[in-house]
Amino acid sequence: MPLLTIATFLPILAGLALMALPDRSTKKAHTVSIAATGAVFLITLGIWARGIVAGDFAQVEEIAWIPAIGAAYRLGVDGLSLPLVLLTSLLFLLSALYSARIGERAASYVVLMLMLETASLGTFMALDGLLFYVFFEVSLVGMYFMIAGWGYEERQRAALMFFLYTLVGSLPLLLAIIGLYLGSGTFDMRVWVEGTTLGGLPAMLALIAMLVTFAVKIPAFPVHTWLPAAHVQAPTAGSVILAGVMLKFGTYGLVRFAYQMTPEAFAQAGQVILAFGVVSALYGAFAALAQSDLKKMIAYTSVNHMGYVVMGVAIAALATEPRIRTIALDGATLQMVSHGLVTGALFFLVGMLQDRAHTRGIGDFGGLLGRVPWLGWACILSAFASLGLPGLAHFPAEFQIFLATLNGMPWGLIAILAIVVTAALYLRAIAGVFLGEMNDKWADMPDLDRREKLVVLPLLVLTVLIGVAPGWLIDMIHTTMTGLGN
Amino acid sequence: MEMGRDLALLAPELTLAAAAMLMIVAEMFRAARLVLAIGLAGLAAATLLTLPMLSVDATVFGGTYRIDLISGWAKLILLPGTALSLLLVRAEITGRPREGSVQSLVVLVTLGALMLSGAGDMMVVVIGVVLTGLGSFALVAWPRDDAATEAAMKYLVFGAVTGSVMIYGLTFWFGGTGSTLFSELGQLQGQTLVTIAGLIAIIVGLGYKGSLVPFHFWAPDAYQGAPVSIAAYLSVITKAAAFFAFAQVLRDLPRDGGWPLALAVIAAATMTYGYLAALVQTNLVRLIAYSSVAQSGYFLMGVVALGASGFAVPGILVFAAAYVAMNLGAFAVVLLAGRDLGDLEGFGRTRPWLGAAMVVFLLSLTGIPPLFGFVGKFYLLSAAVEAGYLWLAIIGVLNSVLALGVYLRLMVPMYRTSSTEHPSEVGAVLTQGTVVVTVLATLLIGLAAGILPGP
Repeated sequence: MPLLTIATFLPILAGLALMALPDRSTKKAHTVSIAATGAVFLITLGIWARGIVAGDFAQVEEIAWIPAIGAAYRLGVDGLSLPLVLLTSLLFLLSALYSARIGERAASYVVLMLMLETASLGTFMALDGLLFYVFFEVSLVGMYFMIAGWGYEERQRAALMFFLYTLVGSLPLLLAIIGLYLGSGTFDMRVWVEGTTLGGLPAMLALIAMLVTFAVKIPAFPVHTWLPAAHVQAPTAGSVILAGVMLKFGTYGLVRFAYQMTPEAFAQAGQVILAFGVVSALYGAFAALAQSDLKKMIAYTSVNHMGYVVMGVAIAALATEPRIRTIALDGATLQMVSHGLVTGALFFLVGMLQDRAHTRGIGDFGGLLGRVPWLGWACILSAFASLGLPGLAHFPAEFQIFLATLNGMPWGLIAILAIVVTAALYLRAIAGVFLGEMNDKWADMPDLDRREKLVVLPLLVLTVLIGVAPGWLIDMIHTTMTGLGN
Repeated sequence: MEMGRDLALLAPELTLAAAAMLMIVAEMFRAARLVLAIGLAGLAAATLLTLPMLSVDATVFGGTYRIDLISGWAKLILLPGTALSLLLVRAEITGRPREGSVQSLVVLVTLGALMLSGAGDMMVVVIGVVLTGLGSFALVAWPRDDAATEAAMKYLVFGAVTGSVMIYGLTFWFGGTGSTLFSELGQLQGQTLVTIAGLIAIIVGLGYKGSLVPFHFWAPDAYQGAPVSIAAYLSVITKAAAFFAFAQVLRDLPRDGGWPLALAVIAAATMTYGYLAALVQTNLVRLIAYSSVAQSGYFLMGVVALGASGFAVPGILVFAAAYVAMNLGAFAVVLLAGRDLGDLEGFGRTRPWLGAAMVVFLLSLTGIPPLFGFVGKFYLLSAAVEAGYLWLAIIGVLNSVLALGVYLRLMVPMYRTSSTEHPSEVGAVLTQGTVVVTVLATLLIGLAAGILPGP
C-alpha cells in the first residue's frame, strides 16, 4: 500500500469532501478534521513501523508526471524526514483537537488546516525537486489565509508581511532548482543529493540562493523579522504549526538541499554559515529577553533554537572527522524534533492562557500557579525543556551540537552564553506569571479542561521521554546521518 | 495533388473562415443566437480537426504557411479561448444592437491570429497583423461612446504607424535574402545591418500586438474603452498570437545578430514597467491591462531563448495556454464583480465560489505552484537560464514579487467584511460557466502538464 501518498493526500481529500457536504456545521467540520488528522497520524505510525534503510530513501513511491522534463511524482522517507513526518502528523492532530472550539467559519478553517497538513507532509517526503517546491509554496498560501482569516487584531498586516517575506525568500530556491535541473537533466532529488550535480561557481551560486530561501524560513538573523509579527497575530493552532512544522522546512532544506546537494560549496562557506548560526542563537535569546509579550518571547526563542540547528549543520560541513560530523547532524535533526514538541506545547499553553485572560503580557499576571496548577506546571515543564535542562527534550540535542562544536570549531561555543540568557528569561517569565502576588482579576480562572489536557499531555510525555531515553529517536536519525557524515 | 494536400492541411482554418462568413450572413438577418451558434460550432469543428494534425510538421502554399507544433498548439489554445470569449460577449451585450457583428468580428480576428501563429512568410505576418488589427479597432469602438471612440482611435493610429514601420523594415530582409520566406533568414548570417533593420520592424509590429514596452500605450485605454468581454478577448488571443508569430519568425534568425540581448532588455523592461504601473491602478480593467503587459515580458523570455534552449517553444506554448485560461477567467470575474477595485470589497465573502476562483486565477498569474501559470513560468525561466540569460531569469523571479503585490491588492479587499452588494446580473450563467471552465483548466492542467508539449 502506498502509505506515503495516502498520508499526504488524505487530509486535502477530507477537506474537499467537507466542502462538498451540504451541511457544513461547526461540529461536523471539527469531526472531519479530527478524524482525518487522527487517521493520518496512525498511517505515519505505520510508515515508521515499516522502517527506513541506511544510505538510501525507503518506501519510495514513484509515478511519471512530466516525463519530457524528467519531473515525476516521487515520495520517500529517510532518517532526516521520517522524524519530521511523525512530528507533523502529531502536531496537526493535536491542533485539530485544540481548534475544536473555533466557531467562526469553522469549515473554511478546517479545510485550510487540512490543506496545510498535505503541504507539510509533502514537503518533507517529496523526492522530486519540482514537487518539493510545489508543496513548499502551497504551505505559504495556506498559512497566509490562516493568519489573515483567524488571527488577532493586526492580522492583515502580519499575514501580508509573512507572505511577502517568505514568498520573496522562496524564489531564489526556484532558481537553484532550475540550476540543479539543468545540471542533471532530472528533478530526481536522489540524484541531486549525491552532491555531484553542480561544482565550482554554479554550485556556490545555487548554495547562496538556497541559503537565502532557507534562512528566511528557519528564520536566521537578520531575516527573522517576519516571525514575531506572524506569531503574535496568528491563531494558536497557526502558531503551533508555524513554529512546530513550518520552520522545519527551513532546517530540513538546509540539510537536504544546501548540505547534501552542494557539499563542497557548503564546506567552503561553512565558517560564514556557522557565524550566522551563532549570531542567530545569541540574538534570538537576547531579543526574547527584551519581550514582555509571552507569545513574542517564545517566537524569539525559536530564532535561538533554530540558530543551534544551523550551527550543527555548519559544524558537520566543517569537521573533518566523520564521527564529529555524524554527532553534529544527529544533534541538529534531534533539535528540530525537540523544538517542534516543546515550542508546540508552549504555544498551546500560551493560547490557553490567552483564551482565559485575553492578554499575554507577563506583567498582567501573577501567582497563577495556585489557581491553575495544571496549566502552571505544564508551562514550567515546557519552559525548563526549552531552556535546555538535562532530562528534557532539548538537552540531548543541544549537548550533541555543542560537543561537535567543541571538537570542530571551539569559537562557536560562545553560543552557550545564549543558554544562560534563555534560562534567565524563562525564570523571569515563570516568576512573573505563576509565582508571587496573585492578581485578583484572575481569581476565578478555570484550570485546563479534559480536551486541553489531552492536547498538552502527549507533548509533555514525549518531551520527558526524549530527554530521559532519546535512544529510539536518535537511532532512527543516526541510521541516515552515519551515511551523510562520511 | 499538391493543392489538395495543402487544402486538407488547412481544414481548421478553412472551417473557421467558412464559419465567419456564415456568421456575417446570419447577422444580416439579425439572428444573434444563430450567429453565436455558428461561431461556436465552427470553433469546435476547427478544434477537432486540429487534433489529428498535432504531430504534422509541414508547410503549405510554397512554404508560406506552416502546419507545425507551434501552429497546431496555437489552434488548440486560441480556438477554445475564442469560444469562451464568445460566451462572455454574449453574456455582456446580449440583446444590444449589432451583437452578431461583434461575434463575427471576434471570429475573424481569431482567423487573423491563426495566420500569425502559422506564418512562414513575411507577407502572411503582414496579413495577420492587418486582419487582427482591423477587427480589433472595430471591436474596441463598438460601444460608440466617447471613451470607446477615443480608445479605438488611439489603437488605430498606433496600429497604422507600427504596421507601416513593420512593412518598411521587412523590405530589408527581403532585400538581404531575395525571398519573403522566413526559412531563408539563415542567409542573413553576417549582414548585421540588414538583420537589425528587419528585426526592428518585427519588434515594432509584433511588439505592438503583444503590448511590449514601449509599444503598449494603446492597451490600457483600449481595454478600458471596450466592453469587458472584448478586453478579455484582446488581452489573450491577439497577444498570444503575437508571441506565436515571434516564435515562427525568430527561430530561423541566426542568434549572432544580437537580437536575443535586445529582446531580453525589452522583456525585463516590459515586466517591470507593467507591474509597477499596475500597482497604482484603481480601475480593475486597467489594472489587469497593465498586469497583461507584464505577462508579455514573461512570454518574451521564451522568445529570447529561441534556438538556444529546448524549453523556449514549449515554454511559449504552455504559458500561452495557461495565460489564456487564467486571464480570461479573471476578466470573467471582473465582468460579474464590477470594473472598479472597490467593487471587489467583500466579494469573496458574499460570493465564496467566485471569490475562490478569482484567488486561483490571481495566484496562477503570480506563478504559485502547482497552478497552470507556474508550469508556464517555470518553462520560460528554465529557457532563459539555459540560454545563458540568468540575469533575465532573476529579474523574472524578482518581478513575481511585484506581481504578488499587484494581485494581493485584489485578494485582500475581497475578504474584508463590507456592505457592498454583489447581485447576480443578466447573463451570469454564461459568465459563471466560463469561470468554471477556466478555473478547472488553471487548477488541473498544471498537474497534468505531461500532456503538454515539452522539450
